[in-house]
Amino acid sequence: MTNKAKILIVDDNVDTVELLTKRFHAEGYDTSEAYDGEQALQQVVEYQPDIILLDIMMPKIDGYEVSKRLKSYDNTKHIPIIMLSAKARVPDKIKGLDLGADDYIVKPFDYRELSQRVKYWVTVKVEVEERLTKIRQLEKELIQSERLAAVGQTVASLAHYVKNILFGLKGGVYLVDEAFKENDTDSLKDGWDLVESNMGRISGLVLDLLEYSRERKPEYEKCFPNEIADDVCKLTQESAKEYSIEIIKDFDPSMGEAVMDPKGIHRCLLNLVSNAIDACIYDSNEEKKWVVRVKTILEDDGMVRFEVSDNGCGMDEETKKKLFTGFFTTKEGRGTGLGLLNTQKIAQEHGGTITVNSQLGQGSTFTIRMPYRDVATSGATGKED
Amino acid sequence: MKKVLIVDDDVDIRKVVSKLIEKSGYQAMEAKNGVEGMGKVREDKPDLIILDMLMPKESGIRMYHELKTEESLKDIPVIVLSAIPKKSFLRSQKVLDEFAGQSVPEPEAYIEKPEEPEELIALMKKILG
Repeated sequence: MTNKAKILIVDDNVDTVELLTKRFHAEGYDTSEAYDGEQALQQVVEYQPDIILLDIMMPKIDGYEVSKRLKSYDNTKHIPIIMLSAKARVPDKIKGLDLGADDYIVKPFDYRELSQRVKYWVTVKVEVEERLTKIRQLEKELIQSERLAAVGQTVASLAHYVKNILFGLKGGVYLVDEAFKENDTDSLKDGWDLVESNMGRISGLVLDLLEYSRERKPEYEKCFPNEIADDVCKLTQESAKEYSIEIIKDFDPSMGEAVMDPKGIHRCLLNLVSNAIDACIYDSNEEKKWVVRVKTILEDDGMVRFEVSDNGCGMDEETKKKLFTGFFTTKEGRGTGLGLLNTQKIAQEHGGTITVNSQLGQGSTFTIRMPYRDVATSGATGKED
Repeated sequence: MKKVLIVDDDVDIRKVVSKLIEKSGYQAMEAKNGVEGMGKVREDKPDLIILDMLMPKESGIRMYHELKTEESLKDIPVIVLSAIPKKSFLRSQKVLDEFAGQSVPEPEAYIEKPEEPEELIALMKKILG
């Protein structure tokens, strides 16, 4: 790395730039150049140098300002800067170093000295970068080992989830105990609510785990995809209404009877619609009129598309990245973080896919596509292994 | 009345800990992540912070570091309450220290979930008197 290091040479004097370019090329470095401060800042982004040789007196933006700006950004502050200047007075040097330069060489300089300093600072940068990588790696390890890995890959995530439930249960039991001692019925109710809520979480966890760990082949049979979607809407109607959320059905009339796995589809859609309702409930924008739209589309290429969209809270980038990771939930401990994973599993077992589109504060759309087998073309019985 | 802030993304844990805080004779404040937590700390300085580690948005790892490196906040005692083993926490803090070039003290106490609620109450009383 050291002898292929990239040097950005910044000087408004073309001769200096040419001379330095030649010399450093001869030593095996890669170089690029800029002739004023503005170009320098642009080059740092495009060229991503390992070190910058920076003149101070330049048109537009001077070297002091360039240095100050680069050292204020997280992604450029670790690039070493050597200032080259004819300004030989001590206060000038101090000003340069104060504004973030790592080293200061007075013109005219001895090339060999400059070369030694470049070598030194490139080594420093390599070390800093190694340390940065190590830190990022450690952060990643920590998060992964404690929460994000899927079942089977690590029991640690499961343990983490159960530890939280247990603490909730212990707290509930403690409150109930105290309530008995003090004859305090309010506290009794609080404690008991906590016990019940955490028991519910254990049941949910067990069901989701079983679903996720089970090898399940799709059970193909004759069915009407629109009817399945309709049934899911009916099932969720009640809880949606409670929070003034409207469920809109938008079914493709050209969709007929097909040979698919109705139970699997039902499970997927129920998961997605429940999620969509939750996204509206968690939305803090009270002025919205919340809508969950369930759409079915028969596509030209023999695929069925199910779309479930909501105008609820939406997701940020971080959440989107972790969507299909086990035990990740944004439902404040209320979800197991396995629902979407299961939906994805079922869709994939069908030879299908699931995709998501989401804007923070505006809502999300989940799309499942699965192969559609027309009854007419897939045999009279409609049963398959 | 002394104020205790619980920062945890899990709504049940917040509920349990709030009840324990109130039972111990203090006023409970709640926040569900590091961002909200720092906001509450600045706006209404608590006398003690009980802090979870893994939360969406800003984690407790970051929030702890922020607290301990801000002059006006660094003296607020912190009890870390997390399902993460203490060893892992200390390791991550060491790395952050090295990176930031300054050393941050260990928390007043570290409780690994699921610890007995009595333990948390005893600790709060010991710290707040």
